[in-house]
Amino acid sequence: FACSDSLPLLTVRTQNIDTTIFFSVSDNTWEVKANCHHFHGQLRRKPFRCFRQRRNAENAVRSYRYTVLTFLPLNLYEQFQRFANIFFLLVVILQCVPAIATIPWYTTLLPLIIVLSVRGMKDLSADLARRRSDSQINSRPCDVLTPAGFTTLQWKDVCIGDVLRIHKDQIIPADLLLLCSSEPHSLCYVETADIDGETNLKYRQALSITHSELISDPAEEALSTFDGNVLCENPNNRLYSFKGDLYWRGKTHRLDIEHILLRGMVLRNTDCAYGLAIYTGSDCKILRNSGQVIVKKTQVEKDFNRVVIGIVLTLLLVAVLMAVGSGLFEYRVSPKMEVLSALGGGSTPVYRGFLAFWGYVILLSPSMPIALYITFEMIHVVHCLLIGWDLHMYWANNDTPAQARSKSLNEELGQVGHLLSDKTGTLTQNRLIFRQCCIAGDIYGLLPHQKLVHRKHPPLDLSWNPYSYGGLHFHDQRLVDRLVKQQCPQSQEFLTSLVLCHTVMSEWKNGTIRYQAASPDEEALVVAARELGWVFLSRTRDSLTINALGQTLNYELLALLDFTSDRRRMSVLVREPGGGLKLYCKGADVVILERLQKDSPHQESTARALELLGVTAIEDRLQDGVPEAISSLRQAGIKVWVLTGDKTETAVNVGYSCRLIDPDTNLLQGEEIQHNTCRCSVIVCRCGNDSTHLTSPQLSSSPIKCLLMFNKWGARFVALSNQCQSVLCCRVTPGQKAEVVRLIRKHTSSVTLAIGDGANDVNMIKTAHIGVGLCGVEGSQAVQNADFALSQFSFLCRLLLVHGHWSYYRICKFLHYFLFKTTAFALVHIWFGFFSGFSAQPLYETWFIPFYTIAYTSMPVQCLAIFEQDVSAEGCLRWAALYKTGQRRDLFSPATLAASLLYSVYTSLVLCLLPLGAFHSTALDYQTLAITVATSAVFTVTIEIIIQTRYWTKYNIAAICLSLALYFILTLIVHSKILHDKLPADFYFTGTSLNPVVWLTILLTTCTATLPSLTGLALNVVLTQSSKHRVHSMMLPTQVRRPGGFRRGGVLRHSSYAMSQGAGFGRLITSGTGLHATAPAQEGAEAAANGTKENNDKL
Amino acid sequence: MAASCWPASGFYREKKRNCSARTAIFDGGMMKNKEGEVANRPDNTAFTQQRLPAWQPMLSAGIVIPGFLVIGLVFIGIGVALFLGSQSIQVLESDYTGLNSNTPCYECSDASKKNCTCSIEFTLTKQFDGPVFLYYGLSNFFQNHRKYGVSRDYYQLSGDTAYFKNPSDSCSPYIYDSGVPIVPCGAAANSMFNDSFRLYQLVGGTKKPVPLDGKGISWWTDYNIVFRNPPLVNGSLAAAFNGTAKPVNWAKPAYELDTSDPSNNGFMNEDFLVWMRRAALPDFRKLYRRITQGDYAAGLPVGNYSLEISYNYPVIGFGGRKKIVLSNVSWMGGKNMFLGVAYLVIGSLCIVMSLVMLIVYAKYKFPEGDS
Repeated sequence: FACSDSLPLLTVRTQNIDTTIFFSVSDNTWEVKANCHHFHGQLRRKPFRCFRQRRNAENAVRSYRYTVLTFLPLNLYEQFQRFANIFFLLVVILQCVPAIATIPWYTTLLPLIIVLSVRGMKDLSADLARRRSDSQINSRPCDVLTPAGFTTLQWKDVCIGDVLRIHKDQIIPADLLLLCSSEPHSLCYVETADIDGETNLKYRQALSITHSELISDPAEEALSTFDGNVLCENPNNRLYSFKGDLYWRGKTHRLDIEHILLRGMVLRNTDCAYGLAIYTGSDCKILRNSGQVIVKKTQVEKDFNRVVIGIVLTLLLVAVLMAVGSGLFEYRVSPKMEVLSALGGGSTPVYRGFLAFWGYVILLSPSMPIALYITFEMIHVVHCLLIGWDLHMYWANNDTPAQARSKSLNEELGQVGHLLSDKTGTLTQNRLIFRQCCIAGDIYGLLPHQKLVHRKHPPLDLSWNPYSYGGLHFHDQRLVDRLVKQQCPQSQEFLTSLVLCHTVMSEWKNGTIRYQAASPDEEALVVAARELGWVFLSRTRDSLTINALGQTLNYELLALLDFTSDRRRMSVLVREPGGGLKLYCKGADVVILERLQKDSPHQESTARALELLGVTAIEDRLQDGVPEAISSLRQAGIKVWVLTGDKTETAVNVGYSCRLIDPDTNLLQGEEIQHNTCRCSVIVCRCGNDSTHLTSPQLSSSPIKCLLMFNKWGARFVALSNQCQSVLCCRVTPGQKAEVVRLIRKHTSSVTLAIGDGANDVNMIKTAHIGVGLCGVEGSQAVQNADFALSQFSFLCRLLLVHGHWSYYRICKFLHYFLFKTTAFALVHIWFGFFSGFSAQPLYETWFIPFYTIAYTSMPVQCLAIFEQDVSAEGCLRWAALYKTGQRRDLFSPATLAASLLYSVYTSLVLCLLPLGAFHSTALDYQTLAITVATSAVFTVTIEIIIQTRYWTKYNIAAICLSLALYFILTLIVHSKILHDKLPADFYFTGTSLNPVVWLTILLTTCTATLPSLTGLALNVVLTQSSKHRVHSMMLPTQVRRPGGFRRGGVLRHSSYAMSQGAGFGRLITSGTGLHATAPAQEGAEAAANGTKENNDKL
Repeated sequence: MAASCWPASGFYREKKRNCSARTAIFDGGMMKNKEGEVANRPDNTAFTQQRLPAWQPMLSAGIVIPGFLVIGLVFIGIGVALFLGSQSIQVLESDYTGLNSNTPCYECSDASKKNCTCSIEFTLTKQFDGPVFLYYGLSNFFQNHRKYGVSRDYYQLSGDTAYFKNPSDSCSPYIYDSGVPIVPCGAAANSMFNDSFRLYQLVGGTKKPVPLDGKGISWWTDYNIVFRNPPLVNGSLAAAFNGTAKPVNWAKPAYELDTSDPSNNGFMNEDFLVWMRRAALPDFRKLYRRITQGDYAAGLPVGNYSLEISYNYPVIGFGGRKKIVLSNVSWMGGKNMFLGVAYLVIGSLCIVMSLVMLIVYAKYKFPEGDS
């Protein structure tokens, strides 16, 4: 282990440190010395230079936030950043001032402590879970080179400068510089699903110098003497770039991202790779990438926040008015009354009014719903759990339940107005199946619906082919016969092209050959060729080995032009074993047809004139239940937009087959829309409002660009599309997908939901109100960025129509009731102020106030918010139109909120005035009045929840009984002799009259207070019953499903060969592997990184 | 299972991957996992599947309309009972503030007069059924003012002698009288009502005293739980109050409130207890005595009566009124017209509502006859 400190750059570095302009001198300031533990260790042991300590983060990750010591202060600090908590903390502080403490401190502190501790427990348990997962990650094994050779250590022990050995299928523990690998040219393949969500393999390659110098047997020998010095940029979050230099043996070698293995990648297809740790722990690029999550908030929550702020402002205003009243009282009444003027202590009426203001702020503070936010969150969590628990959204095929990743959007699921869906992988399975081909004018193969007709058709006999492993859904013995008997040279040529013209990698695993393709359709073609006897065996940089009907052939690869979405084709130039040159080209129909020779094959060919070998038909089947789901969603009033990178024909066909477009729909294609929107003519000339002739515009990307550029047209387009049944946008780039979402968000008030499965949908998913990710073939990136994760598109129907509808219904009810119960109970003090000289005299016993919030009214409303159902799940799905209540915001609007508030004002008036009237000029005292009002309040809110609850589970009943029981029990306890004897000043409410008048007053007050609600309920019952009667007398025409006999397109229209794939391995294959000294072009890496399946115009 | 709050740090977590895409590649596109792998399958319980057995009351017009009718009828029934109950209660009420010069207590209303006595004479033309309760009433007196309410020391009143020396600050400004702690301290005690009444029946020119019973007029809990005299010192209550001052407005210290009955002194004096129990409203009445003994146990017979008032308590300064009330009680306590009327109003409202609903229902159910 040699460690040279004599390099000049070290001195430069130390000078820079001393002059503290360290970061500005050069970009490459991060120094890593290979195999030099004490160099890096030394740096770490200087704690006073904090930034330097940070520079050498250990490889242990620490995503947990709290320790035993910091939990309390840190958690409290976080919690007191919430407005409600800080408000109540201020109230508690105010209550410590005796002059204004109208109710004692514990009335506020008790609920506050409970709220804080519930949330604290929640945070703590989440933090413990993070801690567990951290320690699990940190203790993963990895091989580190030590003086004793490679030793298995834990991830957290990896330091900068360590040389690591990564085995096949191991996860890379830190950002490594690839030194060499077991593969030729020190290539290695990595999977980056955890980084960018792509599942196709990427390759990384070591520098040629390290490759040639460090390969030794055993590997330790050369590696342990490696004393290179890496000087590179400081840790950053750029996943796709890396700048640095390796100084070794007096030479400088340029490094870029191609030489770096990032933490989180998985080594594949490579026995082992050796790397030098450059960034560890929190310095790793992937960890640097973890930014702050933007928390989406629902409209309901925003509205309710406004209401809460409104309540606080009203509270302050009322307190001012009461203070004025108090000032007047002190000015006019108190001076005449010896007792009161003495109690005033000689202060001026203005000052006493000022005190009364604070007194009323304290007294009315319970009207601000302290427990609301924590309850709201808990309910959201339960709703999310229920989503995850739903067996109807569990997909057994990959053992995945639905998952609610965002815990705050549930009610918005019930309000979705626009659904924006990706096509490939979302509506379709993205499992491509080779169905048909056309060679020399003969069509081979059957479509699935034809298979039903030819039921007797025998399965293909491929027993003659030793490489046949199944996986072919192709049924035509004719082709096989012709191939085996070698009757048809054209079909042989066709298969040769299939087996040569691709960028697939092969791998032997368990005696079978596996293909690794950049896109599923390439794989489908190569697999089909393999099954039909043309087996792709292996490839090197300049050759391809295939096995054609048992004969192994070696083709020299002269050139390879990889697929790009601009060219929409790929070509290979090969030298046949016989010595002839051939160019094979495959691509989208349009581009290939352009390049075909016009006349007979025997004419002299030009460079462009290609001969047509054949046509393939690859099917990407719709997922199960997609047409049904889409038609339900449309019945629910949701506008379905499909945004796809495919061409228009494909999109329209899919639109028909998934019932997005009805057969008799007018189609409004690109130009017509431009007519309608851009030329400012009348927009809706052809759409009309006739429901039988709905229209679906399709857009390809140029009108979209035009739409996005000009706001006016955007508005017109959205207006147009609102008249239409559905919208198809074709040839859309990921960026445009997000732009379309933004367009809708801008020009309509409806809630948008974006659903997709690939990395190209991430933009859209993040932009929409709600993002749903499908766990598809394309990795987890969409899911990582989504708010909800599903396994199948059809589950969306249940997620929205059942869970969304219920959540919206429950949360709206919950919020209204919560608002009602807190304000109705607290506003009583305003009215009582008029009878008690505006003295901020509480009308309740002080203990009643916290218990009301904590014990007497909290449980039933939680049960309501968890169990309530207006319609059963089956009903929600059957009568999809019920969903429109959420879209129209029927249940939560300023009007309903105002009604709730008015009702609570009415209730508080009744609660105060009726008992006062009944007690007027009687010998009944203040304590009896307080108990009467309190009991009436508890009964009133309990009856209100009984009215609100329509779905009585045992928990609802138990909660209500328990709440009432708690009221009586706690009241008796608080009034008990024992407590009074101990603390007479705090428990002085002993003894109240329980004569019949009190009970009758309670009965009268409760009934009067709930009378409007009861009347509303009754009128609702009477009116809906009569309207139901009317509905029954006439059938709703829209409910009748159209007969399925005639369907334009129908099953015959399947997705065509969409040539959708990312950049393959073409560059790797053709580039002189290990020979290029300069950094490879950047775009390739970008393309591989972005990994757009539906390639777009931008690339 | 729970998603991390920081998605990026969750990238490389070895949590259960939601997407098992990796398998897909190497199995040549087949997504199916090995059989029996259902580790993530949710439980099939009524709770998790939201299929809890539940009662969903189906309300119909046939329930709602009669329901309202029944509630209305019940309320009207209660209202009538309360109304009749109130009607049967006899009340005799007299304002003796003495504002007008022609009223008996006009002379005494002058605050400078000490030990002034006046008497009100009244005639009962009808037997006043017993037991008769004698109340005094005050109006415009804010016993429910917050500061008035807290101006007392619960520890002191429960007989804790530690607070005899250091009364609670809540009693301010009635804590010390020239440095000596006041017991009972505070505004509530200080402002105790101190008029006293004597009732005579005028029988043939002589005054026959009607015995007034001051026992048991206070709340049971106040008398038995809340209020306690300090422990006697050498058998003497006065000694227990040693070192304390009487409230400034009081004529006599607490241990001499009732000279006739030694047990009715200190904090256990029932008039004191009645006063200390706060009224709900600025207009209130408090029980003074009951007439339960002797010839008058069955009530006050027809005849002429004279009520002698020892007029001490000033109310005119703050626009207050004093009155004396004779009343008998029924099952519902004292006279309470408000409650009965309120019940009748709400009951009628319910019935009207049920009729309106019936009309609405009938109109919508059969819009154009039975066509």
